[in-house]
Amino acid sequence: MEEKGFKLSILCCNYTNLSEREDFFEVPVSLEIKRYPCSGKIEITDMLRALREGAKGVMVAGCMPGTCHNGRGSERAEKRVLGARKILEEIGLEPERISMFFVNRLDGEDFINKVKAFYREILNFELKGRERK
Amino acid sequence: MIIAERRPIPEILRNIENYQKILVLGCRGCVAICSAGGDREVSIVAEAIRLARTLQGKPIEVLEDTFIRQCDPEYLEPLKDYQGKVEAVVSLACGVGVNLIADLYPEIRVYPGVDTSFYGANLSLGEWVEKCRGCGDCIIDRTAGLCPIARCAKNLLNGPCGGSQGGRCEVRKDMPCIWHEIVERLKARGELEKLLEIWEPKDWRPAGGDGLRVRVREDLRLNGGKKPWR
Ligand code: SF4
Ligand code: SF4
Repeated sequence: MEEKGFKLSILCCNYTNLSEREDFFEVPVSLEIKRYPCSGKIEITDMLRALREGAKGVMVAGCMPGTCHNGRGSERAEKRVLGARKILEEIGLEPERISMFFVNRLDGEDFINKVKAFYREILNFELKGRERK
Repeated sequence: MIIAERRPIPEILRNIENYQKILVLGCRGCVAICSAGGDREVSIVAEAIRLARTLQGKPIEVLEDTFIRQCDPEYLEPLKDYQGKVEAVVSLACGVGVNLIADLYPEIRVYPGVDTSFYGANLSLGEWVEKCRGCGDCIIDRTAGLCPIARCAKNLLNGPCGGSQGGRCEVRKDMPCIWHEIVERLKARGELEKLLEIWEPKDWRPAGGDGLRVRVREDLRLNGGKKPWR
């Protein structure tokens, strides 16, 4: 059963992975998958916007370093995640709510496992948050 | 170029806490080149503000724009279109831009979105280093083109100091002792005796010791100019 109102956003490069929503049936949250021509095209603004639009966590996914279709796009994405995390820290959110994942090209299982792990991490933040309330 | 750095978001938020509609205004001059206040940073800061305010339960409307420059009245003209439409402007230009908006548009509440840091060079992606302090009376013709005012931690005019060791500055071990470099370079050029000349005491008035610094070119001025300056 889906956790009500619990949304995760996956910002991902087109070439990295083709998994779709139905491939993630084991992750019991609402998943939003946005694809970009390259993970290097994902801006800090996109990551922050996903949170503002209700996602509890944002997973930025790109190809393993050295395998990026456009050279160093995923390394660039990793750096942008650092920039976004700095802002989260400043405004009092757990920086890990925006995380970079390097996934094996077109390896659906690897991708799904990483989404599951991310979901668990974000769920922990949410549970802790609820305890504090 | 002028190097600036984004201010922490909470500081920006504090200045705009009572507003519901603001403009984040970038500049395509130096601050865009040093990745502090160009189009991309406008979009980031605007989104950070929206996110923070949404989390606080006080959503805010944030408009975004970037002007070619903010240090020139002509380029600030389009700001008129925002007058009355937003409650405040967060400018990502250097302090010059913020001051000029405050001068020309007294009714607009303008707040700095960046800290203006120094005049520097872009050594590599993401790295900027100070090279000049704009002292208005340049002396680097005597120091092999290396500025001891900006680049010596003690701003010495007669270095190196006793703490210079192995070419490193005693104040910051990660920095070269610029006086060591000046001496080495002049020595290599066979011009070390340049440093034996007795210099006139440096005139610090052009560095700001004489109040507001103003530069006038009569050959360019039209209609008597703006004097008194504000
Ligand atoms: S001497 Fe003055 S003008 Fe010349 S580089 Fe140094 S600070 Fe700048
Ligand atoms: S070690 Fe060199 S750079 Fe550092 S304060 Fe002394 S003279 Fe200046």
